[in-house]
Amino acid sequence: MKTLIFGLGNTILTDDGVGIKVVRELKKMMEEHPEIEFKEGSVGGLSILDEIEGFDRLVLVDSIKTADGKPGEVYRLSPEDFNTPAHLINAHGVDFVTAVKLGRKLGYKMPEIIDIYAVQVKDNVTFSKECTSDVQASIPGIADVIMEGL
Amino acid sequence: MKRITIDPITRLEGHGKIEIFLDDEGNVKNAYLQVPELRGFEKFCEGRAAEEMPRLTPKICGVCPTTHHMASSKALDDLYEVDPPLPARIIRELMNSAFMMEDHTLHFFFLGAPEFVVGLDAPAAQRNILGVIEKVGVEIGKKVIDARKRCRQVITLIGGRVIHPVCGLPGGVSKALTEDDRTQIIDAARNAVEFTQFALKLFDDVVLANQEYVDVILGDVYKHRTYYMGLVDSNNKVNFYDGMIRVVDPDGVEFAKFKPRDYLDHVAEHVEPWTYARCTYLKKIGWKGFVDGKDSGVFRVAPLARLNVSDGMATPLAQEHYERYFDVLGGKPVHNTLATHWARLIEALYASERMLELAQHSELTNPDVRTIPTRTPVKGIGVVEAPRGTLYHHYETDERGVLTAVNLIVATQNNIAAMNMSVQKAARMLIKNGEISDKLLNMVEMAFRAYDPCLACTTHSLPGQMPLIITIHNPEGEIVKTLTQ
Repeated sequence: MKTLIFGLGNTILTDDGVGIKVVRELKKMMEEHPEIEFKEGSVGGLSILDEIEGFDRLVLVDSIKTADGKPGEVYRLSPEDFNTPAHLINAHGVDFVTAVKLGRKLGYKMPEIIDIYAVQVKDNVTFSKECTSDVQASIPGIADVIMEGL
Repeated sequence: MKRITIDPITRLEGHGKIEIFLDDEGNVKNAYLQVPELRGFEKFCEGRAAEEMPRLTPKICGVCPTTHHMASSKALDDLYEVDPPLPARIIRELMNSAFMMEDHTLHFFFLGAPEFVVGLDAPAAQRNILGVIEKVGVEIGKKVIDARKRCRQVITLIGGRVIHPVCGLPGGVSKALTEDDRTQIIDAARNAVEFTQFALKLFDDVVLANQEYVDVILGDVYKHRTYYMGLVDSNNKVNFYDGMIRVVDPDGVEFAKFKPRDYLDHVAEHVEPWTYARCTYLKKIGWKGFVDGKDSGVFRVAPLARLNVSDGMATPLAQEHYERYFDVLGGKPVHNTLATHWARLIEALYASERMLELAQHSELTNPDVRTIPTRTPVKGIGVVEAPRGTLYHHYETDERGVLTAVNLIVATQNNIAAMNMSVQKAARMLIKNGEISDKLLNMVEMAFRAYDPCLACTTHSLPGQMPLIITIHNPEGEIVKTLTQ
């Protein structure tokens, strides 16, 4: 099965880049798996469509900020868990779920299996190259969890 | 591991907000648009080498990376006092044009078209790109994605990477183009010219042929008599990459025309206690609050403004549409915010034609793409037109070229004051006697969606979109209704 492990985020926005850092960790741990491709991107919406086309399975690692989560906690989600509407307020807003739906509708090969790992962040609005300590400390553990889930 | 369902209204933090306050009669007393903002970018840059900026600033925004790269490269030209050779200027403008075309058409099909193609009365759940494709067909959807893809290939070809390009250097670009590249770019440009004409035809058939929509566009709800700002070339034609900054007053008369270096004499920033976003205004008129008219320093940028400040378009097909636009909308300047959707498509056609012109330029593949800097840097200012308006990058360094101060005025900031006014006016005119329907709220939302605001880039985090929450307060300040679209 052609699998893509895709880290999303902005690595100069404190915890926002945690998804990318987890994927870098996974890449080191899984060097002998030629069927798995690793990618990272500070992209959103439609650009994701370009990146995920052609894979059977997608593992997406990104950050999330929920109202009551603890920094460094990880959620395993599927596209159905996103209660967000496809109606947009600006061009940034083409969210991942809409992009996949659009891709399917237009007949592109979209992954059949999609797992999303979302890491709770503490700060994703301050410019810094470093994650906050709780989030940084959680990275190896999250990489283990994802590897077990493959 | 926790399992949760992501509901933007209850579970997520960091979002755009419209707050509407009602009076005793249930009419709108006041309305505010609040946007979250990222913190400390200028500080983050201090102490870094200035030449890192074209690679760093595209990371501010996953939507407009190309224009940040351009503004930054131009600021470095100015910092080191070097003029890039003609082939480098052609390459940069070509890249910027491909980006403009891509971003503008994307906006139309994903944000503009859902209102009009799917219908103002349609439920929010259908007013999206999927709803548009439902109406116009899968083939058109494929065309949208294909045209976008080709433009992105052009950007990749020139910039090395599409999201965070790396080609811009002080005095030029890092890589010359080949004749093979030219063939591919010409092909993409021809496709873009054809596709944007198709999009304009769709706008004609769906929007202009429907009197109800024309009435909405021309209605007083979405009208503001403001100043306008944008870059123009030496003939006062629209230019996205270079030129002078021109400002016209609400009657369309030239108020100012200045070089990027002089921007601080003309543009100032105002801070409001209730939002992080700073509002820009015309320094020589002054900040008079969120009001329009000749005595208020509020100005607007982006497609509506660029067409108003210019004397025309520099390419033939776009010029034809430009003339028709002002004929249909009753002359210049056009103050109707929703006309932005039409102006945006005319600009997309110009960007496509310009791409084709530049791709056919005899100097395109000349390998002389760099002027090596020799001067000691002090201060550099670079200005370009981003899809969402005039973008300013201002750097100051020590004699080694290490940054000591950075000031960025991003495009959306120039429209923040006007956006607030638009939301307020639409809310006042549409919400009466406490009657609040979803349709009315959508029409309030339309007032600012036309501007395509950059509501900060926290959208990197899941679910990948910035939820907009509208709260309505009674005279006691209690929340009586909360909505998310």
